[in-house]
Amino acid sequence: MIRLDDIVVRFGDFEALHNINVHVKEGEFFTFLGPSGCGKTTTLRTITGFIEPVSGTVKMKGKDITHVPIEKRAIGIVFQSYALFPTMTVHDNIAFGLKIKKLPKQEIENRVQEIARKVELSQEQLKKAVAQLSGGQQQRVAIARALVTEPDIICMDEPLSNLDAKLRVQLRNELKNMQREFGITTIYVTHDQEEALTLSDRIAVFNKGYIEQIGTPNEVYNHSATEFVANFIGDINPIEGDILGKMALNPNQHHFIRLERVTVNHEERPGECRLQGVIESAEYYGLYIKYSIRCMGQRLKVIEKNDGIRIYEAGQEVVVGIAPGDIMSYPV
Amino acid sequence: MQKAIGRQKGLSAEKLWKVFGAVLFGYLFLGFMVIPCFNTLISVFSVKDASGKTDPFAVIRFFFSGTMPSFVWNSVKLALCLIVTVNVVGISIVLLTEYFDIKGAKILRLGYMTTLIYSGVALVTGYQFLYDNDGILTSWLAQTFPGMNRQWFSGFYAVLFTMTFACTSNHALFLRNAIRGIDYNTVEAARNLGARPFKVLFKVVMPTLLPTLFSLTVMTFITGLCAMSAPTLLGYDSINPEIVRLAGSSAADESFPQARAALLSVILAMFTIILLTTLNHYERKGHYLSVSKTKQKLQKQKIDNPVYNVLAHIYAYVLFIIYMTPVVMIVVFSFQNWQAIQSKTLSGFTFINYFGTEDYTYTRSNGKQKVVADAISGLFANNKTVGGIRLSFIMSAIAAALTCVIVVLVVNYIFKNKHSKKSRVAEACLLFPWLLPTILICYSYRIYFNDNIWYVFSKNLYYRENVQILIIIAYTVVKLPFALRMIKAAFYAIDDELEDAARNLGASSLVTFLRVKLPIVLPSVLAVFALNFNALFTEYDMGATFQSSHGTTYAMVIQSMTDEEGRNGFNRNATGRRCASTVFIMIVSGIILYLVYGVGARDLAERLALKEKRGRIIARLTGRKPKEEKAA
Repeated sequence: MIRLDDIVVRFGDFEALHNINVHVKEGEFFTFLGPSGCGKTTTLRTITGFIEPVSGTVKMKGKDITHVPIEKRAIGIVFQSYALFPTMTVHDNIAFGLKIKKLPKQEIENRVQEIARKVELSQEQLKKAVAQLSGGQQQRVAIARALVTEPDIICMDEPLSNLDAKLRVQLRNELKNMQREFGITTIYVTHDQEEALTLSDRIAVFNKGYIEQIGTPNEVYNHSATEFVANFIGDINPIEGDILGKMALNPNQHHFIRLERVTVNHEERPGECRLQGVIESAEYYGLYIKYSIRCMGQRLKVIEKNDGIRIYEAGQEVVVGIAPGDIMSYPV
Repeated sequence: MQKAIGRQKGLSAEKLWKVFGAVLFGYLFLGFMVIPCFNTLISVFSVKDASGKTDPFAVIRFFFSGTMPSFVWNSVKLALCLIVTVNVVGISIVLLTEYFDIKGAKILRLGYMTTLIYSGVALVTGYQFLYDNDGILTSWLAQTFPGMNRQWFSGFYAVLFTMTFACTSNHALFLRNAIRGIDYNTVEAARNLGARPFKVLFKVVMPTLLPTLFSLTVMTFITGLCAMSAPTLLGYDSINPEIVRLAGSSAADESFPQARAALLSVILAMFTIILLTTLNHYERKGHYLSVSKTKQKLQKQKIDNPVYNVLAHIYAYVLFIIYMTPVVMIVVFSFQNWQAIQSKTLSGFTFINYFGTEDYTYTRSNGKQKVVADAISGLFANNKTVGGIRLSFIMSAIAAALTCVIVVLVVNYIFKNKHSKKSRVAEACLLFPWLLPTILICYSYRIYFNDNIWYVFSKNLYYRENVQILIIIAYTVVKLPFALRMIKAAFYAIDDELEDAARNLGASSLVTFLRVKLPIVLPSVLAVFALNFNALFTEYDMGATFQSSHGTTYAMVIQSMTDEEGRNGFNRNATGRRCASTVFIMIVSGIILYLVYGVGARDLAERLALKEKRGRIIARLTGRKPKEEKAA
C-alpha cells in the first residue's frame, strides 16, 4: 500500500532519518514506535507530505508520491492535538475537507451524516462546538474528519497522548474496533509500547533515525532483534556477574531476561538454572506482584501473578528459576 | 526547521506577492516612520545663524541659556509626582475592591472604573466643569466662602489632581488581574505561620505584584512626561504644549521655534527610549509565576482593627465621590438648559443639549430685543460638533482598520517564518513607534510633510484636506505597537497542527488563513480595532499637534466648544453641549468595552449555548417548539 525506500531527511546539518525502508500492507495497522526524537513523527510527516526527503521515494499503491502536494496524497491525518478548528461546529469540522473539494451540498451532508453515524456522533453533538465535547468525543470527530474525505490511508500522530490513563485504554479499544470496521490502512505513531503492542498488526521500532526492527508485536517483544528493542519494549533484567558464569553464558555478549520469565519457588523446568535469593521488596499491583530479589550479588526484578497464595514478604528466602531458552543475547 | 513542500501551482505568484509586500512594507516604514523622524533629528543640528552659516549647536546653547529647561523640568516633576499619586490611588482602589473586605465593593469598583469610559479631553473638561473658576463646585464653595480664590483649580496641582484619577485606568485593569492571579493558599499559609493581615499584604501579596507595578510605574511616568490635554487645558507649562506652541510659531516671532520644538521632541524621545528599554529589560527577567497546581481563588481579607476598618471605608468612599462626582454632574447637567447650567441649579429635564435647536432672544444695550436663530443647539444638531464627530469617526475607523490589517498580515508572516531574520526585522519595525513619543511622530509629520514630498506623489500632506490623510497615517502608526502586542498574543493561540490539518484537507494558504486562522484571532483583532477606535475617536494630543482647520477632530471641538459661549448671543448652550458630548463619549466607550470584553470574549461554545437559550425563550414566549425539538 505504502512504501518508503531509502528515505533520508535532513534539517540543516542534522540527519533526522537515515535510509528508512518500510512497506505497509493494505488494511494493516502499522505502528511507528520509539522514544522522543527517534524519527517516527518525521517519517510520518514525510509520508503525509509535510516534509520533503533529501533522497529516497515514497510510493503509494506503486505510484511515486514523494513530490505530490499534501492535499493530493489522499492521506487522512489525526493529529496529536486533534487540530479541530475551534471556531467551527463539529459538523463544520467534519465537512471542511468536503467543502474545500467543492462537493455538492447534499453530498456533503450525506457523507457527514454517514461518517457521524459510523463513529457514533449524535445529531446533538454535530451541532456543538468542539470545545463542548469530551476528549473521547473529540477524538471521534478528528477520525471522522480524516475519514470523510475517503483517504487511502490514515495517519495518527500520538492521538492518545493527551488523555488520562483510563480514557486512553478505553479509546485504544475503540480505535482498534473502528480501524477493523473501516478496514483502512493505518499508520500510527506512539512512544507507548503497550499501545503499540495492543493495537498493531506490525510495529517498526525507531531509534536515532534508524529502524531497529519491523515485526509483529510477538516478534518485537519475544524476539527483539536488538538490545535497544529488548530494552525499549517491556521491562528486562540484565544478566551479569556470577549468574553469567553459573549459566555458562558468553561473557562477550549482553544477556537479558524479561521479568515475567523469571520464576519464584516454581517447579523446576528441564535445563533450568536454579538460584537462591532473598526478597528485598514487594510492590503490590493487584493483578500481579513485582518483587525485587537479591540473587548472587545481583538484583533481579520478577513479576508473579497474584494468585492469593504465593505471596512473599521482604527478607523471605526463595528459589529463582531462569530457563536458558528465555535469555536474549546481543553482541556488545 | 522542517522544509515543507510548497504548493506547486502559484508559487511564483506567491513570491511576487511577497516581494510586493516587502517593498510596500519598506516604503511605509521608511517613508512614514524613519525619514520624517530623522528629518526632525537633523533639524536640531541644522540651524543657520544670521550670516546664513549652519550652527549645529545653536539650539543646544539656546536650550541651556533660556527657559527651555523649565519645560523639561516641569514635565519631569509632573511625571515623578504622578508616579507617587497614581500608584497610591491605583493600588488603593485595587486593594479596596479586590483584597480587603469593604462594604459596597461592587459599587465602588464601578465608580473607580469610570475613567475607562471617559478619558483625555472629555475627562479634563469634566473636571473643569466641576472645579474651574466657573465650575459647579467652585461656585458652591464661593457662595459659602466668598473670599476664596476662584482660580484655585489651575496649574501644577490641578494637572496632578486630574491626571492622578485619569491615569488609574491601567491599575484598574492590569493590577486587578495580577491580584486576582494570586494563589489564596499562599495567603493562608502566611496567616498559618503567624503573619498578621497587613504583614501578609506587604510580605506575600505585594511582592508578587511588583513586576506589574513596575510596568505601571514606567507607563505612568511616560504618560506624565508626554501629558498634553491636562496641561493645555489647565495651564501648565510642560513639554508637549510647548512643542505644539512652537510648531505653530514662526521665526519672525522668536528664535528658531521649529528647531526648538524638534529638540524638545528628541529629549522626550530619549526619555521614552531609556524608560522602555529598562522596562523591556526588566520584563525579560520574568515575572513571579504561581507554582501552584491547585490555585485557590483569593478571598477578601477582613480588617480586624475597627479603627483601621472605619478609616479604610471612609477613604474608599471619599475616592468614590471624587471619581463619581464629575460623572454624575456631567450626566445630570447634560439634561439641563443653559440657564440652569449658568446658575448651577437644577430645573426641568431637557434634551436640547443633544437634539434640536432653539432661538435665543436677548435685550441689547439700546433696549431692543434681538433674536439669534439656532443659538442653542444640540450635540447632533450643531454643525461644528457633528462635523467633528463625523471626521473623528471616519478617521478613527479607517486608522483602526488599517492598523489591524497591517498587523494581522505582518504577524501572520512572522508566525509562518518564526525563526527567520526577516520576521524579526518586520516585528521590530512595527514596534518602532513605541519608542517614539506621539508628539515626535506628529510634529515630524507636520513639519516634514508640509512640503511637496516626492514619495507621496509630490503632494503637501499638511495642505488643506490632505491633513486628514496625514492624521490617519499618524493614528495608524501610533497604534501599531499596541496592536502588534495584542494580535501577536492571539496568534500564539493557534496550534501549528491546525494549519497542517487544513492543508491536509486541501485548503490553500489563503483559505487556511481566512477560514481557520482568522476566525480564531478575529475576536482579538476586533477587540484591538474597537479599543483603538475608542482611543482615537476622542484623541486630543495628535489633533492638537496637527492644529488644522481641515482636521479639527472631535476632541478639538470639545476643547473649543465653550470658547465663544454666549458671545453676541451665539453658542448659548456650549457648556451643556460639552456635557452631552462627554455623555455621548461615555456611551460609545461603554458600548465598545461591552462588545470587546462582554460579547467578543465569548467563544463558539458560549455563543451556541446563548443561541439555544434564546431559542428556548422565544419558543416559550411564542408557544412554538424550538427548532431542535422539531428536528428531533
